[in-house]
Amino acid sequence: MYTKLICWIGCSWILLLTACTTTPSEKNKRPTIVTTTGMLADAARSIMGETADVIALMGPGVDPHMYKATEGDLQKLTSADVIIYNGLHLEGKMSEVLHALEKKNPSVYAFTNGIPSTKWRVLDATAQIYDPHVWFDVALWNEGVKALTVFLITKFPSDSVAIQRRSLDYQNQLDQLHVRILRQLDSIPVAQRVLITAHDAFGYFGQAYHIEVRGLQGISTVADFGLNDVSQLVQYITSRKIKAVFIESSISEQSIRAVVEGCTAKGHPITIGGTLYSDAMGSAGTPAGTYIGMVEHNVHTICQALR
Amino acid sequence: MKYEIILTAILVALPCSMLGCFLILRKMVMLGDAISHAVLPGIVIAYLVFDSRDPWMMLWGAGCTGVLTTLCIEILHKRFNVQEDAAIGVVFTFLFALGVILISVFAHNIDLDQDCVLYGEIVYVPLHRMDIGVLSVPVALPPLILVNAIVFFILIVFYPYFKLSTFDSAFAAGVGMSVGLWNYVLMSLVSFTTVAAFESVGAILVIAFLVVPAASAYLWSKQLKTMCLLSLGFAIASVCIGYMIAQQWDVSISASIAMGSGILFGISFVIHTSGKVIVRNKQ
Repeated sequence: MYTKLICWIGCSWILLLTACTTTPSEKNKRPTIVTTTGMLADAARSIMGETADVIALMGPGVDPHMYKATEGDLQKLTSADVIIYNGLHLEGKMSEVLHALEKKNPSVYAFTNGIPSTKWRVLDATAQIYDPHVWFDVALWNEGVKALTVFLITKFPSDSVAIQRRSLDYQNQLDQLHVRILRQLDSIPVAQRVLITAHDAFGYFGQAYHIEVRGLQGISTVADFGLNDVSQLVQYITSRKIKAVFIESSISEQSIRAVVEGCTAKGHPITIGGTLYSDAMGSAGTPAGTYIGMVEHNVHTICQALR
Repeated sequence: MKYEIILTAILVALPCSMLGCFLILRKMVMLGDAISHAVLPGIVIAYLVFDSRDPWMMLWGAGCTGVLTTLCIEILHKRFNVQEDAAIGVVFTFLFALGVILISVFAHNIDLDQDCVLYGEIVYVPLHRMDIGVLSVPVALPPLILVNAIVFFILIVFYPYFKLSTFDSAFAAGVGMSVGLWNYVLMSLVSFTTVAAFESVGAILVIAFLVVPAASAYLWSKQLKTMCLLSLGFAIASVCIGYMIAQQWDVSISASIAMGSGILFGISFVIHTSGKVIVRNKQ
Protein backbone atom coordinates (compact mmCIF):
# COMPACT_ATOMS: atom_id res chain seq x y z
CA MET A 1 0.00 0.00 0.00
CA TYR A 2 2.78 2.37 0.99
CA THR A 3 4.62 1.45 -2.16
CA LYS A 4 1.73 2.40 -4.39
CA LEU A 5 1.11 5.59 -2.50
CA ILE A 6 4.70 6.71 -2.84
CA CYS A 7 4.77 5.78 -6.52
CA TRP A 8 1.67 7.87 -7.10
CA ILE A 9 3.11 10.82 -5.19
CA GLY A 10 6.33 10.57 -7.13
CA CYS A 11 4.60 10.29 -10.50
CA SER A 12 2.17 13.12 -9.83
CA TRP A 13 5.01 15.34 -8.76
CA ILE A 14 6.98 14.63 -11.92
CA LEU A 15 3.87 15.26 -14.01
CA LEU A 16 3.30 18.51 -12.20
CA LEU A 17 6.84 19.58 -12.97
CA THR A 18 6.49 18.83 -16.69
CA ALA A 19 3.10 20.48 -16.86
CA CYS A 20 4.22 23.80 -15.55
CA THR A 21 7.59 24.17 -17.28
CA THR A 22 7.92 27.83 -18.03
CA THR A 23 7.14 29.11 -21.48
CA PRO A 24 9.43 31.90 -22.66
CA SER A 25 7.87 35.33 -22.26
CA GLU A 26 6.58 37.14 -25.32
CA LYS A 27 9.24 38.61 -27.58
CA ASN A 28 10.24 42.05 -26.49
CA LYS A 29 10.73 44.68 -29.16
CA ARG A 30 13.64 46.36 -27.42
CA PRO A 31 17.04 44.75 -27.99
CA THR A 32 18.44 42.81 -25.03
CA ILE A 33 21.96 43.32 -23.73
CA VAL A 34 23.26 40.66 -21.36
CA THR A 35 26.30 41.43 -19.22
CA THR A 36 28.13 39.29 -16.71
CA THR A 37 28.77 41.72 -13.83
CA GLY A 38 26.60 44.48 -12.44
CA MET A 39 29.24 47.11 -13.21
CA LEU A 40 29.07 46.28 -16.91
CA ALA A 41 25.27 46.35 -16.80
CA ASP A 42 25.44 49.80 -15.25
CA ALA A 43 27.72 51.06 -18.02
CA ALA A 44 25.54 49.53 -20.73
CA ARG A 45 22.38 50.96 -19.14
CA SER A 46 23.91 54.42 -18.97
CA ILE A 47 24.92 54.29 -22.61
CA MET A 48 21.74 52.72 -24.00
CA GLY A 49 19.26 54.52 -21.74
CA GLU A 50 15.71 53.27 -22.19
CA THR A 51 16.33 51.88 -25.68
CA ALA A 52 17.56 48.48 -24.54
CA ASP A 53 16.87 45.92 -21.83
CA VAL A 54 20.06 45.35 -19.89
CA ILE A 55 20.35 42.20 -17.79
CA ALA A 56 23.26 41.32 -15.51
CA LEU A 57 23.76 37.60 -14.93
CA MET A 58 25.51 38.07 -11.60
CA GLY A 59 23.49 39.75 -8.92
CA PRO A 60 24.67 42.00 -6.09
CA GLY A 61 27.24 40.46 -3.75
CA VAL A 62 28.17 37.63 -6.11
CA ASP A 63 31.83 36.67 -6.43
CA PRO A 64 32.36 36.46 -10.22
CA HIS A 65 35.12 33.85 -9.85
CA MET A 66 32.71 31.48 -8.17
CA TYR A 67 29.51 32.19 -10.10
CA LYS A 68 27.38 29.15 -10.91
CA ALA A 69 25.20 29.58 -13.95
CA THR A 70 21.52 28.66 -13.93
CA GLU A 71 19.32 27.12 -16.57
CA GLY A 72 17.84 30.52 -17.42
CA ASP A 73 21.28 32.01 -18.06
CA LEU A 74 21.64 29.98 -21.24
CA GLN A 75 18.26 31.28 -22.37
CA LYS A 76 19.37 34.83 -21.64
CA LEU A 77 22.72 34.41 -23.39
CA THR A 78 21.26 32.81 -26.50
CA SER A 79 18.43 35.29 -26.85
CA ALA A 80 20.65 38.33 -26.21
CA ASP A 81 21.36 40.76 -29.02
CA VAL A 82 24.64 41.79 -27.43
CA ILE A 83 26.71 40.02 -24.76
CA ILE A 84 29.24 42.05 -22.78
CA TYR A 85 31.70 40.36 -20.45
CA ASN A 86 34.67 41.61 -18.49
CA GLY A 87 37.38 39.27 -19.76
CA LEU A 88 40.93 38.77 -18.44
CA HIS A 89 39.58 35.60 -16.80
CA LEU A 90 37.45 37.48 -14.27
CA GLU A 91 34.53 35.13 -14.87
CA GLY A 92 36.71 32.00 -14.64
CA LYS A 93 35.57 29.25 -16.99
CA MET A 94 32.80 31.47 -18.30
CA SER A 95 35.40 33.90 -19.67
CA GLU A 96 36.94 31.05 -21.65
CA VAL A 97 33.59 30.06 -23.13
CA LEU A 98 32.65 33.63 -24.00
CA HIS A 99 36.11 34.25 -25.43
CA ALA A 100 35.67 31.28 -27.77
CA LEU A 101 32.21 32.54 -28.67
CA GLU A 102 33.54 36.01 -29.36
CA LYS A 103 35.65 34.77 -32.25
CA LYS A 104 32.60 33.45 -34.08
CA ASN A 105 29.90 35.80 -32.95
CA PRO A 106 30.44 39.54 -33.46
CA SER A 107 27.78 40.36 -30.84
CA VAL A 108 30.01 39.20 -27.99
CA TYR A 109 32.29 41.84 -26.55
CA ALA A 110 35.03 41.72 -23.92
CA PHE A 111 35.06 45.00 -22.03
CA THR A 112 38.75 44.87 -21.17
CA ASN A 113 39.63 44.52 -24.86
CA GLY A 114 38.61 48.15 -25.22
CA ILE A 115 41.40 49.13 -22.84
CA PRO A 116 44.92 49.18 -24.31
CA SER A 117 46.76 46.07 -23.15
CA THR A 118 49.71 48.17 -21.99
CA LYS A 119 47.47 49.52 -19.20
CA TRP A 120 46.53 46.09 -17.86
CA ARG A 121 48.18 45.34 -14.52
CA VAL A 122 50.56 42.45 -15.02
CA LEU A 123 50.29 39.63 -12.49
CA ASP A 124 52.46 37.10 -14.25
CA ALA A 125 54.44 38.39 -17.20
CA THR A 126 55.53 35.11 -18.76
CA ALA A 127 52.13 33.45 -18.56
CA GLN A 128 50.48 36.73 -19.65
CA ILE A 129 48.06 36.87 -16.78
CA TYR A 130 46.56 40.23 -15.97
CA ASP A 131 44.51 41.69 -13.14
CA PRO A 132 40.86 41.71 -14.26
CA HIS A 133 39.55 44.20 -11.66
CA VAL A 134 39.75 47.20 -14.01
CA TRP A 135 36.68 48.98 -12.63
CA PHE A 136 38.56 50.33 -9.61
CA ASP A 137 40.44 52.83 -11.76
CA VAL A 138 37.71 55.20 -12.91
CA ALA A 139 39.86 56.70 -15.67
CA LEU A 140 40.60 53.24 -17.03
CA TRP A 141 36.93 52.30 -16.78
CA ASN A 142 36.16 55.45 -18.72
CA GLU A 143 38.47 54.32 -21.53
CA GLY A 144 36.64 51.04 -21.60
CA VAL A 145 33.32 52.87 -21.74
CA LYS A 146 34.51 54.88 -24.76
CA ALA A 147 35.44 51.70 -26.61
CA LEU A 148 32.16 50.08 -25.57
CA THR A 149 30.27 53.05 -26.98
CA VAL A 150 31.97 52.60 -30.37
CA PHE A 151 31.02 48.92 -30.29
CA LEU A 152 27.39 49.64 -29.35
CA ILE A 153 27.11 52.22 -32.13
CA THR A 154 28.19 49.63 -34.70
CA LYS A 155 25.54 47.32 -33.24
CA PHE A 156 22.73 49.88 -33.17
CA PRO A 157 23.63 52.39 -35.91
CA SER A 158 20.10 53.80 -36.14
CA ASP A 159 20.39 55.09 -32.59
CA SER A 160 23.96 56.37 -32.92
CA VAL A 161 23.33 60.03 -32.10
CA ALA A 162 21.47 59.30 -28.89
CA ILE A 163 23.97 56.66 -27.83
CA GLN A 164 26.80 59.12 -28.39
CA ARG A 165 25.00 61.78 -26.36
CA ARG A 166 24.21 59.53 -23.43
CA SER A 167 27.71 58.09 -23.47
CA LEU A 168 29.29 61.55 -23.36
CA ASP A 169 27.05 62.34 -20.40
CA TYR A 170 28.22 59.23 -18.61
CA GLN A 171 31.87 59.87 -19.48
CA ASN A 172 31.51 63.36 -18.04
CA GLN A 173 30.18 61.94 -14.81
CA LEU A 174 33.07 59.49 -14.70
CA ASP A 175 35.61 62.27 -15.32
CA GLN A 176 34.13 64.27 -12.46
CA LEU A 177 34.12 61.19 -10.26
CA HIS A 178 37.80 60.59 -10.99
CA VAL A 179 38.74 64.14 -10.02
CA ARG A 180 36.53 63.96 -6.93
CA ILE A 181 38.22 60.75 -5.78
CA LEU A 182 41.68 62.26 -6.21
CA ARG A 183 40.63 65.30 -4.18
CA GLN A 184 38.95 63.26 -1.43
CA LEU A 185 41.89 60.92 -1.04
CA ASP A 186 44.23 63.90 -0.83
CA SER A 187 42.73 64.54 2.60
CA ILE A 188 44.40 61.37 3.92
CA PRO A 189 47.93 61.97 5.25
CA VAL A 190 50.54 60.33 3.01
CA ALA A 191 51.80 58.06 5.79
CA GLN A 192 48.29 56.72 6.32
CA ARG A 193 47.61 55.90 2.69
CA VAL A 194 47.52 52.15 3.01
CA LEU A 195 44.50 50.08 2.05
CA ILE A 196 44.37 46.69 3.73
CA THR A 197 41.74 44.18 2.65
CA ALA A 198 41.24 40.44 2.60
CA HIS A 199 42.13 39.71 -1.01
CA ASP A 200 44.10 41.55 -3.64
CA ALA A 201 41.35 43.17 -5.70
CA PHE A 202 42.29 46.79 -5.30
CA GLY A 203 45.49 46.83 -7.36
CA TYR A 204 44.16 49.23 -9.98
CA PHE A 205 42.70 51.46 -7.29
CA GLY A 206 46.05 51.78 -5.56
CA GLN A 207 47.89 52.38 -8.80
CA ALA A 208 45.51 55.11 -9.96
CA TYR A 209 45.06 56.93 -6.68
CA HIS A 210 48.50 56.47 -5.13
CA ILE A 211 47.46 54.29 -2.25
CA GLU A 212 49.53 51.36 -1.15
CA VAL A 213 47.41 48.21 -1.29
CA ARG A 214 48.04 45.25 0.95
CA GLY A 215 46.01 42.07 0.75
CA LEU A 216 46.04 39.24 3.24
CA GLN A 217 45.49 36.68 0.52
CA GLY A 218 46.53 36.69 -3.09
CA ILE A 219 44.00 37.12 -5.86
CA SER A 220 43.07 33.48 -5.78
CA THR A 221 40.59 32.74 -3.04
CA VAL A 222 41.45 29.05 -2.69
CA ALA A 223 44.91 29.43 -1.20
CA ASP A 224 44.13 30.36 2.36
CA PHE A 225 46.22 32.93 4.15
CA GLY A 226 49.19 31.53 6.03
CA LEU A 227 50.17 32.22 9.61
CA ASN A 228 53.12 34.15 8.30
CA ASP A 229 50.84 36.32 6.20
CA VAL A 230 48.88 37.34 9.28
CA SER A 231 51.91 38.00 11.48
CA GLN A 232 53.72 39.91 8.73
CA LEU A 233 50.66 42.03 8.12
CA VAL A 234 50.22 42.65 11.85
CA GLN A 235 53.90 43.66 12.06
CA TYR A 236 53.44 45.99 9.12
CA ILE A 237 50.28 47.59 10.53
CA THR A 238 51.78 48.24 13.95
CA SER A 239 55.01 49.66 12.52
CA ARG A 240 53.14 51.99 10.15
CA LYS A 241 50.49 52.82 12.81
CA ILE A 242 47.67 52.24 10.37
CA LYS A 243 44.23 53.08 11.71
CA ALA A 244 41.87 50.75 9.91
CA VAL A 245 41.45 47.65 7.76
CA PHE A 246 38.53 46.87 5.46
CA ILE A 247 36.07 44.10 4.75
CA GLU A 248 34.93 43.20 1.23
CA SER A 249 31.31 42.59 0.36
CA SER A 250 31.89 39.36 -1.54
CA ILE A 251 34.55 37.81 0.71
CA SER A 252 34.19 36.40 4.21
CA GLU A 253 35.37 38.77 6.92
CA GLN A 254 36.84 35.98 9.04
CA SER A 255 40.37 36.42 7.75
CA ILE A 256 40.61 40.13 8.35
CA ARG A 257 39.26 39.69 11.90
CA ALA A 258 42.36 37.60 12.64
CA VAL A 259 44.49 40.61 11.71
CA VAL A 260 42.47 42.94 13.92
CA GLU A 261 42.84 40.60 16.88
CA GLY A 262 46.57 40.22 16.20
CA CYS A 263 47.03 43.99 16.22
CA THR A 264 44.98 44.47 19.38
CA ALA A 265 47.08 41.81 21.10
CA LYS A 266 50.20 43.73 20.14
CA GLY A 267 48.83 46.86 21.76
CA HIS A 268 47.89 48.63 18.54
CA PRO A 269 44.11 48.96 18.52
CA ILE A 270 42.77 48.99 14.98
CA THR A 271 39.23 49.39 13.75
CA ILE A 272 37.43 47.78 10.86
CA GLY A 273 36.94 50.73 8.56
CA GLY A 274 33.81 49.37 6.93
CA THR A 275 32.72 47.21 4.02
CA LEU A 276 34.06 47.90 0.54
CA TYR A 277 32.36 46.70 -2.61
CA SER A 278 35.01 44.81 -4.51
CA ASP A 279 33.78 42.24 -7.02
CA ALA A 280 30.11 43.14 -7.05
CA MET A 281 27.94 46.21 -6.51
CA GLY A 282 25.35 46.72 -3.78
CA SER A 283 21.67 45.83 -4.12
CA ALA A 284 19.66 47.68 -6.75
CA GLY A 285 17.94 50.75 -5.33
CA THR A 286 20.59 51.40 -2.70
CA PRO A 287 23.19 54.15 -3.30
CA ALA A 288 25.88 51.52 -3.92
CA GLY A 289 23.68 49.83 -6.52
CA THR A 290 25.24 51.80 -9.38
CA TYR A 291 28.83 51.90 -10.48
CA ILE A 292 29.33 55.53 -9.48
CA GLY A 293 27.56 54.98 -6.16
CA MET A 294 29.68 51.95 -5.42
CA VAL A 295 32.96 53.75 -6.10
CA GLU A 296 31.81 56.74 -4.05
CA HIS A 297 30.85 54.47 -1.18
CA ASN A 298 34.28 52.84 -1.27
CA VAL A 299 36.16 56.14 -1.37
CA HIS A 300 33.98 57.65 1.34
CA THR A 301 34.52 54.63 3.59
CA ILE A 302 38.27 54.69 3.04
CA CYS A 303 38.54 58.43 3.73
CA GLN A 304 36.40 58.24 6.87
CA ALA A 305 38.49 55.44 8.33
CA LEU A 306 42.00 56.53 7.43
CA ARG A 307 41.81 60.28 7.85
CA MET B 1 20.11 23.88 -27.36
CA LYS B 2 18.32 22.25 -24.49
CA TYR B 3 18.74 18.81 -25.99
CA GLU B 4 22.48 19.28 -26.25
CA ILE B 5 22.62 19.90 -22.51
CA ILE B 6 20.53 16.81 -21.82
CA LEU B 7 22.65 14.76 -24.22
CA THR B 8 25.87 15.95 -22.57
CA ALA B 9 24.50 15.11 -19.15
CA ILE B 10 23.50 11.64 -20.34
CA LEU B 11 26.92 11.09 -21.91
CA VAL B 12 28.46 11.87 -18.55
CA ALA B 13 25.86 9.82 -16.71
CA LEU B 14 26.34 6.59 -18.66
CA PRO B 15 30.03 5.80 -18.03
CA CYS B 16 29.96 7.24 -14.51
CA SER B 17 26.95 5.25 -13.35
CA MET B 18 28.37 2.10 -14.93
CA LEU B 19 31.76 2.52 -13.24
CA GLY B 20 29.94 3.46 -10.04
CA CYS B 21 28.50 -0.07 -9.82
CA PHE B 22 31.99 -1.57 -9.66
CA LEU B 23 33.21 1.09 -7.26
CA ILE B 24 30.34 0.57 -4.84
CA LEU B 25 31.03 -3.16 -4.72
CA ARG B 26 34.70 -2.48 -4.07
CA LYS B 27 33.87 0.12 -1.38
CA MET B 28 35.74 2.75 -3.38
CA VAL B 29 32.81 4.94 -4.21
CA MET B 30 34.30 8.18 -2.95
CA LEU B 31 37.11 7.89 -5.46
CA GLY B 32 35.43 10.48 -7.68
CA ASP B 33 35.30 12.98 -4.85
CA ALA B 34 38.91 12.20 -4.00
CA ILE B 35 40.01 12.80 -7.58
CA SER B 36 38.09 16.06 -7.75
CA HIS B 37 40.24 17.39 -4.92
CA ALA B 38 43.46 15.60 -5.72
CA VAL B 39 43.85 17.14 -9.17
CA LEU B 40 44.81 20.52 -7.68
CA PRO B 41 48.60 19.96 -7.52
CA GLY B 42 48.50 18.66 -11.11
CA ILE B 43 46.90 21.89 -12.23
CA VAL B 44 49.45 23.99 -10.40
CA ILE B 45 52.40 21.97 -11.70
CA ALA B 46 51.04 22.10 -15.26
CA TYR B 47 50.76 25.86 -14.88
CA LEU B 48 54.30 26.16 -13.53
CA VAL B 49 55.75 23.93 -16.23
CA PHE B 50 53.93 25.34 -19.25
CA ASP B 51 53.49 28.85 -17.88
CA SER B 52 49.95 29.07 -19.15
CA ARG B 53 46.38 28.56 -18.01
CA ASP B 54 45.48 26.91 -21.30
CA PRO B 55 42.58 24.46 -20.72
CA TRP B 56 44.37 21.58 -22.46
CA MET B 57 47.45 21.91 -20.25
CA MET B 58 45.22 22.03 -17.19
CA LEU B 59 43.43 18.90 -18.37
CA TRP B 60 46.75 17.17 -18.94
CA GLY B 61 47.97 18.04 -15.45
CA ALA B 62 44.68 17.00 -13.89
CA GLY B 63 44.63 13.71 -15.83
CA CYS B 64 48.12 12.77 -14.69
CA THR B 65 47.38 13.49 -11.03
CA GLY B 66 44.07 11.65 -11.34
CA VAL B 67 45.87 8.47 -12.40
CA LEU B 68 48.54 9.07 -9.76
CA THR B 69 45.83 9.38 -7.09
CA THR B 70 44.25 6.06 -8.00
CA LEU B 71 47.67 4.40 -8.16
CA CYS B 72 48.60 5.66 -4.70
CA ILE B 73 45.26 4.54 -3.28
CA GLU B 74 45.62 1.08 -4.81
CA ILE B 75 49.18 0.68 -3.57
CA LEU B 76 48.32 1.81 -0.05
CA HIS B 77 45.34 -0.50 0.04
CA LYS B 78 46.81 -3.60 -1.58
CA ARG B 79 50.47 -3.48 -0.57
CA PHE B 80 50.23 -1.93 2.84
CA ASN B 81 46.79 -3.16 3.87
CA VAL B 82 45.41 0.27 4.61
CA GLN B 83 41.60 0.24 4.59
CA GLU B 84 40.05 1.44 1.29
CA ASP B 85 38.33 4.50 2.74
CA ALA B 86 41.35 5.44 4.82
CA ALA B 87 43.63 5.10 1.78
CA ILE B 88 41.34 7.37 -0.23
CA GLY B 89 41.23 9.90 2.60
CA VAL B 90 44.96 9.95 3.14
CA VAL B 91 45.87 10.32 -0.53
CA PHE B 92 43.40 12.97 -1.54
CA THR B 93 43.84 15.19 1.48
CA PHE B 94 47.60 14.97 1.06
CA LEU B 95 47.47 15.88 -2.63
CA PHE B 96 44.93 18.66 -2.13
CA ALA B 97 47.00 20.13 0.66
CA LEU B 98 50.07 19.89 -1.55
CA GLY B 99 48.18 21.85 -4.20
CA VAL B 100 47.18 24.56 -1.74
CA ILE B 101 50.77 24.89 -0.57
CA LEU B 102 52.06 25.04 -4.14
CA ILE B 103 49.57 27.81 -4.88
CA SER B 104 50.57 29.83 -1.82
CA VAL B 105 54.25 29.47 -2.62
CA PHE B 106 54.37 29.85 -6.40
CA ALA B 107 51.10 31.23 -7.67
CA HIS B 108 49.41 33.17 -4.89
CA ASN B 109 48.69 36.19 -7.03
CA ILE B 110 46.71 34.54 -9.79
CA ASP B 111 43.40 32.75 -9.86
CA LEU B 112 44.32 29.11 -10.11
CA ASP B 113 42.00 26.49 -8.72
CA GLN B 114 39.78 23.77 -10.06
CA ASP B 115 36.72 25.99 -10.08
CA CYS B 116 38.36 28.56 -12.31
CA VAL B 117 40.49 26.56 -14.67
CA LEU B 118 39.19 23.01 -14.79
CA TYR B 119 35.56 22.55 -13.84
CA GLY B 120 33.25 23.27 -16.71
CA GLU B 121 29.65 24.34 -16.44
CA ILE B 122 27.04 22.35 -18.25
CA VAL B 123 25.00 25.47 -19.04
CA TYR B 124 27.74 26.71 -21.35
CA VAL B 125 28.04 23.48 -23.30
CA PRO B 126 25.82 24.62 -26.20
CA LEU B 127 27.65 27.95 -26.42
CA HIS B 128 31.12 26.53 -26.87
CA ARG B 129 31.00 24.95 -30.31
CA MET B 130 33.30 23.61 -32.98
CA ASP B 131 32.77 22.63 -36.59
CA ILE B 132 33.25 19.08 -37.77
CA GLY B 133 32.68 19.18 -41.52
CA VAL B 134 29.27 20.76 -41.99
CA LEU B 135 28.15 19.96 -38.47
CA SER B 136 28.47 22.41 -35.62
CA VAL B 137 28.73 20.51 -32.36
CA PRO B 138 29.52 21.53 -28.78
CA VAL B 139 33.24 21.15 -28.03
CA ALA B 140 32.39 18.97 -25.02
CA LEU B 141 30.64 16.25 -27.02
CA PRO B 142 33.40 14.50 -29.04
CA PRO B 143 35.64 13.78 -26.02
CA LEU B 144 32.66 12.52 -24.05
CA ILE B 145 31.62 10.22 -26.89
CA LEU B 146 35.19 8.91 -26.98
CA VAL B 147 35.15 8.33 -23.22
CA ASN B 148 31.86 6.45 -23.52
CA ALA B 149 33.19 4.30 -26.33
CA ILE B 150 36.37 3.40 -24.42
CA VAL B 151 34.66 2.75 -21.08
CA PHE B 152 31.87 0.62 -22.50
CA PHE B 153 34.19 -1.25 -24.85
CA ILE B 154 36.55 -2.24 -22.05
CA LEU B 155 33.82 -2.96 -19.50
CA ILE B 156 31.78 -5.11 -21.89
CA VAL B 157 34.66 -7.00 -23.50
CA PHE B 158 36.40 -7.78 -20.22
CA TYR B 159 33.22 -7.97 -18.14
CA PRO B 160 33.94 -11.45 -16.69
CA TYR B 161 37.35 -10.35 -15.46
CA PHE B 162 36.02 -7.24 -13.76
CA LYS B 163 33.18 -9.21 -12.23
CA LEU B 164 35.38 -11.93 -10.83
CA SER B 165 38.08 -9.62 -9.52
CA THR B 166 35.42 -7.45 -7.87
CA PHE B 167 33.49 -10.20 -6.13
CA ASP B 168 36.14 -12.73 -5.24
CA SER B 169 39.64 -11.48 -5.73
CA ALA B 170 41.12 -14.44 -3.84
CA PHE B 171 39.48 -16.92 -6.16
CA ALA B 172 40.40 -14.82 -9.18
CA ALA B 173 44.03 -14.85 -8.07
CA GLY B 174 43.74 -18.57 -7.43
CA VAL B 175 42.71 -19.33 -11.00
CA GLY B 176 45.68 -17.34 -12.25
CA MET B 177 44.02 -14.02 -13.05
CA SER B 178 46.04 -10.86 -12.57
CA VAL B 179 43.75 -9.12 -10.08
CA GLY B 180 46.07 -6.16 -9.74
CA LEU B 181 46.00 -5.49 -13.46
CA TRP B 182 42.19 -5.35 -13.59
CA ASN B 183 42.13 -3.12 -10.55
CA TYR B 184 44.48 -0.68 -12.20
CA VAL B 185 42.51 -0.79 -15.45
CA LEU B 186 39.28 -0.01 -13.61
CA MET B 187 40.85 2.76 -11.54
CA SER B 188 42.45 4.34 -14.59
CA LEU B 189 39.10 4.25 -16.35
CA VAL B 190 37.57 6.05 -13.39
CA SER B 191 40.21 8.75 -13.21
CA PHE B 192 40.21 9.25 -16.95
CA THR B 193 36.39 9.48 -17.09
CA THR B 194 36.08 11.80 -14.11
CA VAL B 195 38.73 14.25 -15.27
CA ALA B 196 37.29 14.40 -18.79
CA ALA B 197 33.81 14.88 -17.36
CA PHE B 198 34.95 17.55 -14.88
CA GLU B 199 36.18 19.56 -17.84
CA SER B 200 32.76 19.61 -19.47
CA VAL B 201 30.23 19.55 -16.63
CA GLY B 202 31.95 20.29 -13.32
CA ALA B 203 32.61 18.18 -10.25
CA ILE B 204 29.38 17.78 -8.32
CA LEU B 205 27.53 16.14 -11.18
CA VAL B 206 30.31 13.62 -11.85
CA ILE B 207 30.58 12.66 -8.20
CA ALA B 208 26.81 12.29 -7.94
CA PHE B 209 26.71 10.06 -11.03
CA LEU B 210 29.48 7.86 -9.70
CA VAL B 211 27.73 7.28 -6.40
CA VAL B 212 23.99 7.76 -6.39
CA PRO B 213 22.56 5.77 -9.36
CA ALA B 214 24.70 2.78 -8.44
CA ALA B 215 23.64 3.05 -4.80
CA SER B 216 19.96 3.17 -5.80
CA ALA B 217 20.41 0.22 -8.14
CA TYR B 218 22.14 -1.75 -5.40
CA LEU B 219 18.97 -1.47 -3.32
CA TRP B 220 16.94 -3.18 -6.03
CA SER B 221 19.27 -5.88 -7.25
CA LYS B 222 22.21 -7.87 -6.03
CA GLN B 223 22.99 -9.16 -9.50
CA LEU B 224 25.78 -7.26 -11.19
CA LYS B 225 24.27 -7.21 -14.68
CA THR B 226 20.83 -6.07 -13.49
CA MET B 227 22.45 -3.60 -11.18
CA CYS B 228 24.45 -2.03 -14.01
CA LEU B 229 21.38 -1.73 -16.22
CA LEU B 230 19.29 -0.29 -13.39
CA SER B 231 22.08 2.15 -12.57
CA LEU B 232 22.16 3.38 -16.16
CA GLY B 233 18.38 3.75 -16.04
CA PHE B 234 18.45 5.70 -12.79
CA ALA B 235 21.18 7.96 -14.16
CA ILE B 236 19.18 8.84 -17.27
CA ALA B 237 16.02 9.36 -15.22
CA SER B 238 17.84 11.71 -12.87
CA VAL B 239 19.04 13.75 -15.85
CA CYS B 240 15.44 14.18 -16.99
CA ILE B 241 14.08 15.00 -13.54
CA GLY B 242 17.00 17.31 -12.79
CA TYR B 243 16.62 19.21 -16.00
CA MET B 244 12.94 19.77 -15.27
CA ILE B 245 13.77 21.05 -11.80
CA ALA B 246 16.38 23.41 -13.22
CA GLN B 247 13.96 24.72 -15.81
CA GLN B 248 11.16 25.10 -13.31
CA TRP B 249 13.08 27.12 -10.76
CA ASP B 250 15.82 28.59 -12.94
CA VAL B 251 18.66 27.12 -10.93
CA SER B 252 21.98 25.40 -11.59
CA ILE B 253 21.49 22.43 -13.90
CA SER B 254 24.28 20.28 -12.44
CA ALA B 255 23.00 20.76 -8.93
CA SER B 256 19.43 19.93 -9.95
CA ILE B 257 20.49 16.76 -11.73
CA ALA B 258 22.51 15.72 -8.71
CA MET B 259 19.44 16.42 -6.61
CA GLY B 260 17.30 14.45 -9.06
CA SER B 261 19.49 11.42 -8.52
CA GLY B 262 19.13 11.96 -4.77
CA ILE B 263 15.33 12.07 -5.09
CA LEU B 264 15.36 8.80 -7.05
CA PHE B 265 17.53 7.26 -4.38
CA GLY B 266 15.10 8.50 -1.72
CA ILE B 267 12.13 6.99 -3.54
CA SER B 268 14.00 3.69 -4.01
CA PHE B 269 14.99 3.67 -0.38
CA VAL B 270 11.49 4.35 0.92
CA ILE B 271 9.89 1.75 -1.35
CA HIS B 272 12.58 -0.73 -0.48
CA THR B 273 12.30 -0.33 3.29
CA SER B 274 8.49 -0.09 3.34
CA GLY B 275 8.39 -3.21 1.17
CA LYS B 276 10.45 -4.97 3.80
CA VAL B 277 8.13 -3.78 6.54
CA ILE B 278 5.09 -5.10 4.69
CA VAL B 279 6.73 -8.46 4.12
CA ARG B 280 7.66 -8.67 7.77
CA ASN B 281 4.13 -7.76 8.87
CA LYS B 282 2.63 -10.47 6.68
CA GLN B 283 4.95 -12.99 8.18
